[in-house]
Amino acid sequence: MKQHRMHLLICAGTGCVAAGSFEIKKALEKEIIKRKLQDEVAVISTGCNGFCERGPTMVVQPEGIFYIGLKKEDVPLIVREHLLKGRPVKKLMYIPPIEEQPIPKLMDIGFFKHQRLIVLKNRGRLDPENIDEYIAFDGYRALEKVLAKITPEKIIKEIKESGLRGRGGAGFPTGLKWEICRNAKGDVKYVVCNADEGDPGAFMDRSVLEADPHAVIEGMIIGAKAIGAQKGYIYVRTEYPLALKRLNIAIDQAETIGLLGKDILGTGFNFSIEVVRGAGAFVSGEETSLLAAIEGKIGVPKQRPPYPVQKGLFKKPTNINNVETWANVPQIILKGAKWFSEMGTEGSKGTKIFSLVGKINNTGLVEVPMGITLKEIIYDIGGGIPKNRKFKAVQTGGPSGGCIPNNLLDLPIDYESLKNIGSMMGSGGMIVMDEDTCMIDIAKYFMNFLRDESCGKCLSCREGTQRMWEILDKITKGQGTMEDLELLEELAKAVRDASMCGLGQSAANPVLSTLRYFRDEYEAHIKYKTCPAVVCKEIISSPCQHICPIDTEAPQYIAYIARGEFKKAYNIILKDNPLLGVCSRVCHHPCELKCRAGQGGDPISIRALKRFAVEHGNGKKTKRIKKKLTGKKVAIIGSGPSGLMAAYSLAQKGYAPTIFEAEPMTGGMLRLGIPEYRLPRTVLKEDITRIINAGVVIKTNKKLGRDFTTKDLFDKDYKAIYIAIGAHKSIKLAIPNEYAKGVIPSMEFLTQLHLGKKVKVGKVVGVIGGGNSAVDAARAANRLPDVEKVIIIYRRTRTEMPAYKEEVDNAIEEGIDIQFLTTPTNVITKDDKVVGIECIRMKLGGVDKSGRRRPIPIKDSNFIIELNTLIQAISEQPDISCLEEKHEFNISGWNTFVVNHETLSTNIPGVFAGGDAIRGPSTVIQAMADGKRVAETIDKYIRGEKFEFRYEVTRPSIYVEPVKLKAEEILEVSRQESKNLSSEKRRKNFKEVDLGLDKKSAIKEAKRCLRCDLEVKKEDNKKESK
Amino acid sequence: MITFTLNGLEVQIEHGSTILEACKFYGIEIPTLCYNEGLSSYGGCRLCLVEIGEGENAKLVSSCTYPVEQGLKVRTNTKRVINARKMMIELLLSICPSSKTIQDLASKFNVRKVRFPVRHEDCILCGLCVRMCKEQMQSGAIGFVERGYKKKIMTPFNIKSDVCRLCGGCMYICPACQLRCQGPDAPTDVCNACLSLEPTCIDVYDDYQCWMGTTGDCGTCEGRPDQKKK
Repeated sequence: MKQHRMHLLICAGTGCVAAGSFEIKKALEKEIIKRKLQDEVAVISTGCNGFCERGPTMVVQPEGIFYIGLKKEDVPLIVREHLLKGRPVKKLMYIPPIEEQPIPKLMDIGFFKHQRLIVLKNRGRLDPENIDEYIAFDGYRALEKVLAKITPEKIIKEIKESGLRGRGGAGFPTGLKWEICRNAKGDVKYVVCNADEGDPGAFMDRSVLEADPHAVIEGMIIGAKAIGAQKGYIYVRTEYPLALKRLNIAIDQAETIGLLGKDILGTGFNFSIEVVRGAGAFVSGEETSLLAAIEGKIGVPKQRPPYPVQKGLFKKPTNINNVETWANVPQIILKGAKWFSEMGTEGSKGTKIFSLVGKINNTGLVEVPMGITLKEIIYDIGGGIPKNRKFKAVQTGGPSGGCIPNNLLDLPIDYESLKNIGSMMGSGGMIVMDEDTCMIDIAKYFMNFLRDESCGKCLSCREGTQRMWEILDKITKGQGTMEDLELLEELAKAVRDASMCGLGQSAANPVLSTLRYFRDEYEAHIKYKTCPAVVCKEIISSPCQHICPIDTEAPQYIAYIARGEFKKAYNIILKDNPLLGVCSRVCHHPCELKCRAGQGGDPISIRALKRFAVEHGNGKKTKRIKKKLTGKKVAIIGSGPSGLMAAYSLAQKGYAPTIFEAEPMTGGMLRLGIPEYRLPRTVLKEDITRIINAGVVIKTNKKLGRDFTTKDLFDKDYKAIYIAIGAHKSIKLAIPNEYAKGVIPSMEFLTQLHLGKKVKVGKVVGVIGGGNSAVDAARAANRLPDVEKVIIIYRRTRTEMPAYKEEVDNAIEEGIDIQFLTTPTNVITKDDKVVGIECIRMKLGGVDKSGRRRPIPIKDSNFIIELNTLIQAISEQPDISCLEEKHEFNISGWNTFVVNHETLSTNIPGVFAGGDAIRGPSTVIQAMADGKRVAETIDKYIRGEKFEFRYEVTRPSIYVEPVKLKAEEILEVSRQESKNLSSEKRRKNFKEVDLGLDKKSAIKEAKRCLRCDLEVKKEDNKKESK
Repeated sequence: MITFTLNGLEVQIEHGSTILEACKFYGIEIPTLCYNEGLSSYGGCRLCLVEIGEGENAKLVSSCTYPVEQGLKVRTNTKRVINARKMMIELLLSICPSSKTIQDLASKFNVRKVRFPVRHEDCILCGLCVRMCKEQMQSGAIGFVERGYKKKIMTPFNIKSDVCRLCGGCMYICPACQLRCQGPDAPTDVCNACLSLEPTCIDVYDDYQCWMGTTGDCGTCEGRPDQKKK
């Protein structure tokens, strides 16, 4: 055999072939000949190595350098750099989602490092179309052993002792099955390999057949010898052409060299294998219907007993095993039952292959030991959830498996544990879902699959899956009732109980498991007509409108901007939002996070468009007359966004609201917390004037507790009180010396600054925290004349930082030094004045409940940062010192008011609370939504009505004709970002940083909108606009 | 003879009997719909469910297909059986409320409401006609096509079958179209009104073809207003 200096193992599994690996192989061979390397380098196409999403992949041996995402154009570069000059090409290597350094070697990548390969041991290392390579890697040695040395009884004993269980899903002990089949009466017996893999998102069997077909064949011959069968069938679905091709080649080769056919290896044992192609029915994976299909009948399950091992194919004893089970057999025979049973848990031995798909960074095929936790698979192997989204559930066991929630991720996986929590092992599909997945939508998807794939024999399964799908469909349309939920559960249980085969018995699992773990989502759809994941079209209309806490109709104003009708756009925004100037600057735009355009590309710049409409649609400013209101009096404490919004909404309902503000200036956190470079005070003033003009009275310098009490207000004939005092008290760090001079809470720093008072800061300022108030404080401090350097100290990494991305970007641009993975341990003082801070470096450990990696201190990594001022900005809570000492309010451990979340009423009649005062530090728009809601409850309270809300599905109030797009506009995909003031011009001043969009780019951006709102029916539009 | 437990009593039955046959022998009533003594068992309607096994391994099986095994423990009227059976009747009622057979089952087993949207199908896919045609009439003119919720019964390629002898056996045995209940339009409850003398089975096939051959040949639908139009 020819020796080569290097082997290029290029993946030729279906995934990589589809991505063009055959062309790359050709190009490589050509290039290698061109460079005259053909005697030194061999190119080999192998089976799937599992990393399918990043294909085509290639491993360069002997170094083990791993390349991903190859293109034909990369070939000359690899040949020149790596093969000739010995310099591996960095830009084609794998870069893990968090770190930014490429990992050169295959075995150093988390995806491969944590796997344990038995069945897939030959993947990516041998050519599946060449039997010699299989033999070279110990292939057919187990067969030789079986035929030459051991008796069938001993084979069965070995398999029994190994603890191998059926990998098709049910987990029946394989050795026991073989024994029953061997002992069954009859001379003619069959062995069958079930390769009818029908689950959406599962490709384990396909991959095994593509990568190592001989392992399956060898396993079957051993099984046949043990059972006494002379004929075997492999039932493969026609949808797997590559697997079929390789399987046929493998059988031919095995026959040619006498490993299949008559008198195998001269031992007198006869065995042949026939490949049967299945036409792709999910139910044919069920053993009795698979046998019917092989017999040429319709694939419909039969009643068991009699079991196939007694009376199966052509009424003869038949042993059926899954591809993966067969592929395990040679290894067990070769290495012994003891070796195999050392892996796994008590009841489940060995390894299991999973196809890891869905919202996961490293999509692909993984083989792991039984007993591994779901968390290890998802985070260590799978690399976590893409786009920094939160994990929601993982679905195991294919369409009829169950969805497993976050709190069960530490569960060691085996047959029993999965069954106990309402899911199942199944054949090994594993679909990861993130927060953008609606569980009802998922259940509906699987039910749609099952109602299609049910064989239709049992009424329970045929009609049950259809009816379950109908109910789920109704719920996803926002038309479900709580009775439907009861019926759904009752029906699901009946379907599970009454159906004959495994398909029907497990068909209810998607419904039952989501009902068990995600009932709140069902209730959100039914009671509140909201889809928490913002998926269900008929409920949400457009994601941006649905996610907006105050129901802003973004698609409508964007459509008007696209049409050039800016005034109309302005009016649409104003309809729901009196603080539109503020929101167009500082809203954290959850709408952009959920924007459909952002799923495949960049989301629409919704906030920038809003700002454009606000600036260009307002027209000439006419002097407005202040309204005078004569309705019943309502007191609002706090003039932040929540208080302002509540007052405005109440004024519109005819009440006479009065806002009491403790500080000399109005605006609450908008004025005291948010620096001017983000929110110019002229904008804020205009918005507040709008609210005053609506008839709201604002009294400044009136502090609750200092100037009045809640009792005083009721005495003065205020009918209701809304407490919206915000969260203005910074939380302490709980480290030594933090009360020293020069240590300032961030809120105190910002408040003083914004009230125009002088704040004393030193040359070097440190800010502790990773939230928005930390970044605000840092950027504001950086603008002060005396400050030379600002350092942010944060204990996790950039990815976990809660501050808004653009704020962090800007901070870095402005020269602020962010020390990630750093925790302060001690404030260093001199003469009771801060001079530095001692910190310790952290590293990211395991994933915690919030789905973020927990920071762990690195021992002896302490270091000191010298500084003159230290700002604490880890979090804030409401300052409840304003309440009387013997107050009767229900207060939480976080110093927030405890309220009924639907009505926002506190435990004291007539007193309501909202905004940050009930949530802790939250967002402007959420505070405003509370204000809007409380106006409704206060209205009901004063009128003595029941607190009942009628929830409706989201719909646009008007239909805006879409603009006709030109061909080049349709192709336009890049997001128009608003320009920023250059970092030089920002230095040492508080000028607004964001300059907004110009007219041309605003219209261009608006035209990119996909107009999701147009998908809902027109009659709904009309009905809602009444 | 096989010894097994039936509702707590140890009883014996001939080898090869199904649970249903054993129950009948011992006088225990079990409702059936897709079962007929003269035909092979199918196990599709799931009305003849009984509970077997114990503890965690207890499960429901269709008694018409399940052979009695030595030592089997059979319970015919547990809560689980009743609940599942009632749900099956409710499902049947929701797809074919105008069948008297199903309405009778509903009143017998106390199914008082249908919580699913009613569909008025003509066929409940019990498969009796298919087995009748094949096993008793030795014809095999009709069979199942498609699967899942699209499953239906028809002749091959939906054209008139060469082997059909117009015997009408399929219609004779059909529980959905025989005894069609066309009383008060009350599909959500027990209707109790099989007063109509209207001919049966007409709505089923007049859209495209009649299993009897050309529509109207058998004479049952003569005089029907919708037939006159043709």
